Formats: sequence, structure tokens, C-alpha cells
Amino acid sequence: MKDVSFELPESAVLGLIGPNGSGKSTLLNIIAGLEKPTSGIVKLDRKRIDNLEANRVVGYGLAKTHQIPKPFSNMTARENVAVAVLYGRRNIHSPSLALQEAERILSLVGMRSRNDASAGSLTVQEKKRLEFARALATGASVLLLDEVFAGLSPEELKDSIQLFRKLHEELHFSALVVEHVMRAVLNLSHKVIVLEEGRVIATGSPDEVVHNDRVIEAYLGSKKSAA
Amino acid sequence: MIEKPGLTLYGLFIVMALLAAAALLLGVAVSSILVLLLVYAALAYSINFITGMIGYVDFGHVLFMAIGSYALATLVSHYEANPLLGVGLGALLGLVFALGIGLVILRFRGVYFAITTVVLVLAAYNIVLQFPQLGAGGEIIVNLTFQPLATYFTIWTIVLIEIVLTYYVNRSRIGFGIRAIKNEEDAASSVGVSPRTLKLTGYMLGGLFGGAAGAVYAWSISGVTAGPAFDFTFSLLMLAMIIIGGVGTSIGPLLGAVVVYIPSYFLLTTVAQAQPLIIGLLVIIMALFLPDGIVGLLRRSNEHLRLVLE
Amino acid sequence: MVAADLVVRDLVFGLLLGCVFSVVAHGLNIIWGIVKVINIAHGEFIMLGAYGAYFLNLFAGLTPLEAAPVDAAIGLLVGYAFYYTFLHRELRDKETITLQSEMVTLAATFGLSLFVSNLAIILFTGNPVGINYNPGTLQFGYLHVPLAALYVAILSVLIITGTWLFLERTFIGSAIRAYAQDVTATELVGANPAKVASLATALGFAVTMAGGALLTVWIPVGINPLMGALYAPISFVIVVLGGPGKMWGSLVGGLTLGVVIDVVQAFTTVEIAYAAAFLILIPVLVFRPEGLLKR
Repeated sequence: MKDVSFELPESAVLGLIGPNGSGKSTLLNIIAGLEKPTSGIVKLDRKRIDNLEANRVVGYGLAKTHQIPKPFSNMTARENVAVAVLYGRRNIHSPSLALQEAERILSLVGMRSRNDASAGSLTVQEKKRLEFARALATGASVLLLDEVFAGLSPEELKDSIQLFRKLHEELHFSALVVEHVMRAVLNLSHKVIVLEEGRVIATGSPDEVVHNDRVIEAYLGSKKSAA
Repeated sequence: MIEKPGLTLYGLFIVMALLAAAALLLGVAVSSILVLLLVYAALAYSINFITGMIGYVDFGHVLFMAIGSYALATLVSHYEANPLLGVGLGALLGLVFALGIGLVILRFRGVYFAITTVVLVLAAYNIVLQFPQLGAGGEIIVNLTFQPLATYFTIWTIVLIEIVLTYYVNRSRIGFGIRAIKNEEDAASSVGVSPRTLKLTGYMLGGLFGGAAGAVYAWSISGVTAGPAFDFTFSLLMLAMIIIGGVGTSIGPLLGAVVVYIPSYFLLTTVAQAQPLIIGLLVIIMALFLPDGIVGLLRRSNEHLRLVLE
Repeated sequence: MVAADLVVRDLVFGLLLGCVFSVVAHGLNIIWGIVKVINIAHGEFIMLGAYGAYFLNLFAGLTPLEAAPVDAAIGLLVGYAFYYTFLHRELRDKETITLQSEMVTLAATFGLSLFVSNLAIILFTGNPVGINYNPGTLQFGYLHVPLAALYVAILSVLIITGTWLFLERTFIGSAIRAYAQDVTATELVGANPAKVASLATALGFAVTMAGGALLTVWIPVGINPLMGALYAPISFVIVVLGGPGKMWGSLVGGLTLGVVIDVVQAFTTVEIAYAAAFLILIPVLVFRPEGLLKR
């Protein structure tokens, strides 16, 4: 990372794109407390969080999903989300209440029917939804989403984009969305940041960024107009 | 957070009541046999905290048993203290050592943790041999009046406490956190669980009760000897009990203790190696075909049992 | 003898001992590094190798050096059997070893360890035995080096070099290395993952049992059914010191351990020496978990 600096306003969706190896995942890991920055600080609501362990960061209201979903395989979907309810910043300590709340959140993401399914047996799309549901369930106001739209069929992608929009309208979380799937980023972000080799090479609205020559060059390696 | 207990807890209470009655009514011979059963059960519940529930395989758990044994033996033989104080000291030392060791080694994952626990036992054994106060490899003999009921009810109480603790931990918020860690430790952190705290708690409970059980064991066999005290066969038996019974469950450790102990009591008269041989075979079969133990098998076979057995 | 001479003597003996430790641990390293499975019963197969050498000596007059290849052949068969009994079902469709399968193999191999060691007590009795093999000593000034120890050390290094050559220079070897990095990639290079994994396991067992045979030279009265309980942890520490999967790591770890044990023993007791050797594991895991070997 070199001189990366930005601000995520309340309820905003910030897209983070860039070619492979540009440092997007590293950036998410640093913000979430999984890696320590060699220099620089991360602040959440004016509180410094870069020196905190990952699980403490959740207590401050920030949750990250995993690029490759990591469900608690031997627990049901509902129990998976219940863990997040119990250990997030919701202050709900009763398992039965947590399970009820988990059910509600699973309905929100359209997975009510899979409540009692073992998380290990879910499809890829369902596992990604579960990741998202877990992050939401912690009560986080800031979500870091690591390629949640990857590996989906066109139908599934459309559904997921719609779902995200709906939830964002209802819940007003802020989100930093790392993505390769352009359709999702352009559709959902208010603003986009482009990284290349650890450096920010462009910021702006989705439209501006897509037509930015420097960005196109970073992705394609030479000057070409966007198709 | 305290919800109404289910059938499992009542069932376990009934079993414990029967065991108490057996000791009181059936005489010394029976209680002498059952004391060892309860020691085994106590050990099984203690390793269940760190290995069954959290999933960190503690091959070296016999260390805590040895600590407890030496605590009681030293206190009683050198200071003529009441054996109950010995049990208390065993438990306390088990807890303290678990804290100190856990802070260092719980950061290791999977096999690395398992091997480190083995290494610690071997190192501890070699170190104990150097100290004449600890018998320097010989025995420390404990001269006590024969009080079978005192020993029996001490370990009975310990097991009862363990049962209740195991049961409520499984049902509580902590139980969810522990299961999350066992499944996917990194994902657990990402939803706010603190693996460090919970792992250390589990390990410390294991040390506490392992130490207590070890102390009672030394009390019941009137002494401690270095070789047998650090014998890995105990660790292996403890693991076998929870694997056979059902890892992490409330019933599993007691069930496993019964399965492991009762036949061995009768087999002891034939070939001494028959018990570990059969247990080894049983563990292989369970691990390959029934990794969630007898309780797991019962839960999977019947919808009613799934809801009732914990 | 002057103190410095004593240290040199301990160093030399430590290195010789370390060579044998290396090959004893090497089989574990191979299986751990390639198939990513840790065999808790590793010590028992060392024990079987030692007994194999003992019986080959008793009934066929073979020296430990000659017994080693025979043991290795037996080890190959045992390894294949082990793979198909314990590992095939777990590994068949997996791309990575999950926690569940790790616990399963840990538990199953621990059961195996109990089973084999107690079976050995029943079959061989608990009385320690030994092999009488003394082709003489070599004298370097004040050093009296037993030829047996020297031969065995040389053979140990040859075995480790041999496996390295096999893995680096043959096609099957490269298939095995591919499997170690990425199971799916193995199919891409045209090899069958099950065949590769079973071969690697068989190789690991062959080396282990040969190691057991060579070890007998250092334990003239110490072959007993429970010796696995000592040599398994030693092997584990060696593999961790050298780095699991790094073939030369076995040698680095083995020599380190051999030297530590012998040198510390010069200043304190044997027990403390062993305790120290085992406890080295902890700082290595804390500060340098990839092992002592660079790269």
C-alpha cells in the first residue's frame, strides 16, 4: 500500500476495484484488523481501530465477509447467524433470542427456507448470502464485502444486486465493496476507488472511473476505449 | 440465559443419584470399584472442555492429572494435611499451570498444539525425576486411614459439578462461541468471538478438573509414582472416552467412561494389554466410521433422540 | 581428556546420532509434507522396524544395515495398506485437509498407536532386546568412533539424499511434489491423485521402518514395544524444526536434536538433555514456525 487514503461517509457504498494483486484484499484485512499497517491509521467514527484485534473491531461496528465463504459447517444456517448476533455489538446474550433474531435476518436475505440446513451443505450462492447475513447480524454499521458477487450465474447476480439494493435502502449501512464483477460495482456504488499495485490511481463516480484512461490501461495494459 | 433444563440433565442427575446410592448401600467393595469409574469420568469431562468442545486435541492432558496427583501426595505425606486440601491444591495448581501454559501454546493450531502438549509432558516427566522432594522417580506414599466414602463422594461431587458446567456451557452463549471456534476459528473472530479468551477458558477448566481428578486418583491409590503418573495411556484413555461417548456432549464423557472402564475391570484379570488393545481398535473404528460417537449416532438415528440427547 | 576434547566428542557423537534421528523422522516428514496427514502411530512403525531388524538378525543373521532394505520393502506394503485403510476415504475427493478430517486421522492413528504397541507387548513380551552388532571402532586421535554408528549415519544420509533425488529427478517424484502443492494440479500433469498419495505414504513408511532398523545400533538393549513413545515425539520435533515437507529439513532437525541432546548431556543429566531437546519446539514454533531451514 502506498499513500492510500480515503473516507467512507455514512450510508455510502464505496466500490474498490483494481487488477489482481493491487492490494484490495490487503486493504480490507487491514481495516478489519486482520493485518497491521506498517504506517497509517484507521478510524471508525473518530475512534482509532487499526491497533485492535479483529474480534474487537466487530464490537465497534465493522464486519468483514470472506472472499471464500467460511461458514461454521457443522452448525445450521440459523446457528451460524446466531453466533454473530450473540457476539456482535447487539448486546443480545440469550441463545433463544439470538436464534429468533437470526431467523429474522435470514428471512431478510431470502434464506428462511434454509434455516435448519447445515451450513456445510449450502450452495455457493447460499454460503455467500450466509456470510452477508452474519456480517449484518453483528449489528455492524460498516460492512466490508470481499467479492460477494463473484462466481454467480447471471440470474443469481441480478437477484443479489437487487437484494443488496433493497437491504441498503432499509438498513442504511455503509459498505466498502471489493469486486471484480463490474456490473455489481457500477450498479451499487456511489463512488469508486481504483487501486493498482497498492496505489490509488483514480477515484470518482462509477461512470467517471469506467471511462478513465488510466484505469482502462491498468486493466488492459494499453490505451483502448471502453467497449 | 438460564433456560429450563432438558431431559439430558435430569437423566444425568438420575445416573449420579444411582451411583451415590450404590456406594452407600452396596458396601465398600462396590464403592472401591466405582471410585475409579468416577475418576475416569472426571478426567473425560475435563478433557472434553478443551478437546471435545473447542477441538484442540490435548494429547498431553495427563500433565494436569500428574500435577494433581503430586499436589495431593506431597501435601499429605510431607505436611500431613487433610486430603481434601490436597484435592483443592491439585485443582488450583492445575488451573494455574493451564493458564501459564495456555497463554503460550494455545496460539498453535491443530497438530502443532497437540505435539506441543506431548512435548510438555515428556519435559515435565524428565524434570520431576530430578527432584528428590518429588520422589525423584520413586514413589511418594500417602498414609491415610482408609476412607472409601470420603474419596468416593469427593470425586462424585467433582463429576457432578463438571456435568452441570458442561451442560450449561453447551447451552449458553459461550457454547455458541466455542462451537464456532471449533468449526472455523478465523470466521469466529470475524463475527466478534474472542478465540483467545474462550480457548484459554476451556483449557483452564480442563486443567482445573484434571488436577482435581488426579489428586483424587492419588488419594485412592495411596500414592504417586513418576512413571505411571505421566503415562500417556491416561491421555489416550481420556481421548478414547470422549471419542466413544461423543465429543463435546454432556452425556458423552460419562458414557465413554462406562464403556471404557467397565469391561476393563473384568479384563484386568486376563491379559493386561487387552484393555488398551480393544480400546485402540474401538477408537479406530469410531474415528473412521462414527466420529461423533455413540451420542452422535443416537442423535442421527432418531428425530426424538436428536432433540433430547445433548 | 581436556574439556574441549569432550565437547568435540559429544559433537561428533551428536552428529552421528542425529543422522539416524533424521532418517527416523524422515518418513513422518514425507507423509506430513505430501499427504498432509500426521500419523500419531509413527513411533510404533519405528518400533516395528527395530523388531524387524532384531528378528532378521536372530533368524537370518542379518546386520542392521542389511535389514534396513528388507524393512523398507515391508514398509512399502504396510504403507499402502495404511493408505487404503485410513486415508483413502478421507482424502479421495478432498482438495484440502479440513479440520474434521484432521481430527479424524489424529484420532484414528492414535487408536492405531494404542493397538499396535499393545499387540507388540503381547507378541514380543515387554522385555527389551537388542542386536549385537559391533564391526569395530575407528580411531581419530582421542576419538573412538564405533564403525556401526558411522555406517548407519552414512546410510541414513544416503537414504535422505536418495529420496530427495527421487522427488526431484523422476517423473513420479515430480507428480508427488505437484500433489503436495495442489491436489487438483496433479491430475493436470496426468497423474492419479490416489496413486500418488498412496505411493508417497508407502515411501514414508518404507523410510520409517528402515530408520527403525538403523536405530537399533544406538540402542543395544533398548528395543521394546513401547519405544515408539519416545521416538515419535522426537520425530515430531525434528520435522517441525526442519519444516514439514522440506526434505532436507529432516537432516537439519535431526542433527540439531542429536547435537543438543549429546552436548547438554555432557553438562547435566540425560533426562534434562531430553527435556531440553523437546522444549526447543516451543520457541521455534513461536518465533519461526516454518522451521529452521531457509526457503
